[in-house]
Amino acid sequence: MNIIYVLIPIAIIIVAVAIVAFFWAVKNNQFEDLERQGHSILFDDDVTPSPKSEQHKRD
Amino acid sequence: MNVSATDCFHCGLPNPPDTNYQTAVFDNIETMCCPGCLAVTEAIVEHGLTDYYKFRTAPAAKAEDGLEEQAILEQLSIFDAAELQADFVADEGQLKSVQLTLEGITCAACGWLIERHLSKVAGISQNSVNVSTARAMVKWDPTQISLSEILKQFAAIGYTARPFSAEEHEQIFQEQHKRFIKQLGLAGLMTMQVMMLSFGFYFDWLGNIDETMAEYFHWISLVLTTPVVFYSGSTFYLGAIRALLARGVNMDLPVSIAILGTYFAGIKAVIIGDGDVYFESICMFVFFLLSSRFLEHRARYQATEIASNSMQYIPLSAHLIQANQNTEIVLAKQLKPNQTVLVKAGDTIPVDGVIIEGTSFIEESMLTGEFVPVSKAPGEKVFGGTLNQAQPLQIMVTQTLEESLVNKIARLQESAMSHKPKVAQMADQLSQYFVFAVLFISTVTFFTWTYFGNDNAFWITVSILIATCPCALGLATPSALTTAMARLQKAGVLIKRADTLERITKVNHIVFDKTGTLTTGAFSIAHTWYADETHKNLIDSIVASIEQFSEHPIARAFECSHPISVKDVKVVINQGILGEFEGALYRIGNAKFMPCAIPNHILNATVFVSKNEQIIAAYWLTDALKVHTTDVVSALADAYSLSIISGDAAKHVSEIAETLNIKEAHHGCRPEDKLSILTELQSSKKVVMMLGDGINDAPVLAQADVAVTVGNASDFTKHSTDVILLQEHLAQLPLLTALAAKTKRTIKQNFMWALGYNVLVLPFAIMGVLTPWQAALGMSLSSLIVVYNSARLLRFRQHN
Repeated sequence: MNIIYVLIPIAIIIVAVAIVAFFWAVKNNQFEDLERQGHSILFDDDVTPSPKSEQHKRD
Repeated sequence: MNVSATDCFHCGLPNPPDTNYQTAVFDNIETMCCPGCLAVTEAIVEHGLTDYYKFRTAPAAKAEDGLEEQAILEQLSIFDAAELQADFVADEGQLKSVQLTLEGITCAACGWLIERHLSKVAGISQNSVNVSTARAMVKWDPTQISLSEILKQFAAIGYTARPFSAEEHEQIFQEQHKRFIKQLGLAGLMTMQVMMLSFGFYFDWLGNIDETMAEYFHWISLVLTTPVVFYSGSTFYLGAIRALLARGVNMDLPVSIAILGTYFAGIKAVIIGDGDVYFESICMFVFFLLSSRFLEHRARYQATEIASNSMQYIPLSAHLIQANQNTEIVLAKQLKPNQTVLVKAGDTIPVDGVIIEGTSFIEESMLTGEFVPVSKAPGEKVFGGTLNQAQPLQIMVTQTLEESLVNKIARLQESAMSHKPKVAQMADQLSQYFVFAVLFISTVTFFTWTYFGNDNAFWITVSILIATCPCALGLATPSALTTAMARLQKAGVLIKRADTLERITKVNHIVFDKTGTLTTGAFSIAHTWYADETHKNLIDSIVASIEQFSEHPIARAFECSHPISVKDVKVVINQGILGEFEGALYRIGNAKFMPCAIPNHILNATVFVSKNEQIIAAYWLTDALKVHTTDVVSALADAYSLSIISGDAAKHVSEIAETLNIKEAHHGCRPEDKLSILTELQSSKKVVMMLGDGINDAPVLAQADVAVTVGNASDFTKHSTDVILLQEHLAQLPLLTALAAKTKRTIKQNFMWALGYNVLVLPFAIMGVLTPWQAALGMSLSSLIVVYNSARLLRFRQHN
């Protein structure tokens, strides 16, 4: 059971890190728009225009 | 998101027949409804942003077409003026940043589209779009790109962006909002940790906990609880101190005593190693209390955000004519008396002045509520904010913008707002008595138990303070109001202030503005008279064909489906229009315009038609009622007394009042007349809800107990209202009143439950049966029940 004397302080440190991260997130407006960021994963970051539409433009 | 083949690929509106605005998207040829939508789609495809079309959940807003866009882009250059930017642009070293409100955002994909597009523009170093508030933040390097260029980039992909400066109180709200989230997050995380440790004690999960380990657990709990008490709980102590300084008490006081008492008793117990410790109860208590405060705050925060968005920063610009006859675009607020400005047809007149060249029709609806334009000739006065409809005018400035009539109305609005009657906060008064009772009972209990020598007297007192904690009581109102507001938002009704719903239930009189609120503000033919009924159709089409040449709004009432060729059409300003058909001369216009006497029985018609000195027809025009108006008014007539206050002429007002069966109707009212009629109503014990739309309604709306505007109202008017109906018609008004009543009932139920629970549990707490952790648990359950009861409002449906 003595391991608990080590585990609990570690847990406290992890919680402290979580709180720092949370405060940082609030400060940087991460909680301002909960609707949009959920969709971000759907988008590719760099879509190259398909060759066909390039061609169409040249026509 | 699928758009059918016959609808515009971009905006989803039906395509007009024979359109050939096409471009390739995802290897398919797609059809657009107008060159504007085509240009936007092409810009999106060109920049490799086609993913927008794949993931959007709603079609885009229709893009502006070429000509409109050209005019808008021209106006944008005005935003580069340094003295204007001082109001809304922030300097950040080399960079500048600005907050923009966006129009045309329909779904989350729009946010992505804008961010991706802007990130490719040279000179823009950072940008972020907030979809739920329809706002964007842009940071840019002024040496590489100008603000107007940035706004043009928004226009290129089909969005309208305008700078705005958030109201001061919104910024304060936002800071508080962030602090609440932090306090709540901290309390939540710590509660979990401390709970975990104490569950070991409650249920003996760790086997036999020996003395040392128990002491260790207590110290850890103390360390974890300290930030919750001093950071998360600070809201309550500050509230309690503020109330004491104002020589009053509020719910924060017993809360503060309970938290700090339990905490310091806990420290004492940990240090001397003897006594009870209730750190987990403190954490949970603070967490639940903060949740209720947070809910209440968020409801008010959302309301101010909505209010701020309608305060777009739109500077009026003017075409100044310089000495060398060149024109230059300048800010209206820079204009000085005796300068000459050019006002093109369709433009807003920037400031008050006198016409020096040109004759035109001016629409002064914003001042008078009257949509029929007034003709004005050189030498006559015109007012800033009114609309020049027909011909270009040269105007000599007589007043600076500061002194103009619009600003005078704005000041009237402001002073009316500050004199608004306040509804006393029932909950605040109730809580005063409640808190006194709680403090009294706990003090008596403490001394009684001490007198009888009970060691637990302190903990019993703490139990009383926690058990009677007004947490559920505090949640009763905000949770119900928040859900009711969300329900209304779904139906297209925005509530700008949370306490509006409570005030709506007290309303017993509803006042309507006529033009633009009950009616559309456009004319239609009510009934007709013909000298010879057999030529009815021919006369109709002759009149319609001649009226086609007129810009007057009355002309739009005559629909021309099959134009026939008429000759020599001439407009006579302020009287009518004349033209020739098959050798006969037709005159269409008012009574003064007729060449002969008019028969008595048709004397009250709006428009007369004569053919070669003989009256052949007459038309009665009315301002068409909006859809649903009749139903809504008759539904409201049962519960409320109704009246109309309008700036329009007596004839039109009484017609509408008769159709809608409204007894009380005032006509020809100027803004200050409307205001005095309303104050009179209020002084005769009426609680008044006012519906209006025009700028001339702004002061009276500000004075009304509850102010409602419709979707077509000007931004200026929306500023002074409590409720905005997003649609142009009034169909949701009965829902608003019904839901307000239902919300009041829900709040009452919540109060009854919360008070009932507190009273029920009090004897147990006094007797010492209840330990602090049981009290905290019971209080949490009671809060959950209140929240659930409020959530039922989301599913509210109107009967019938």
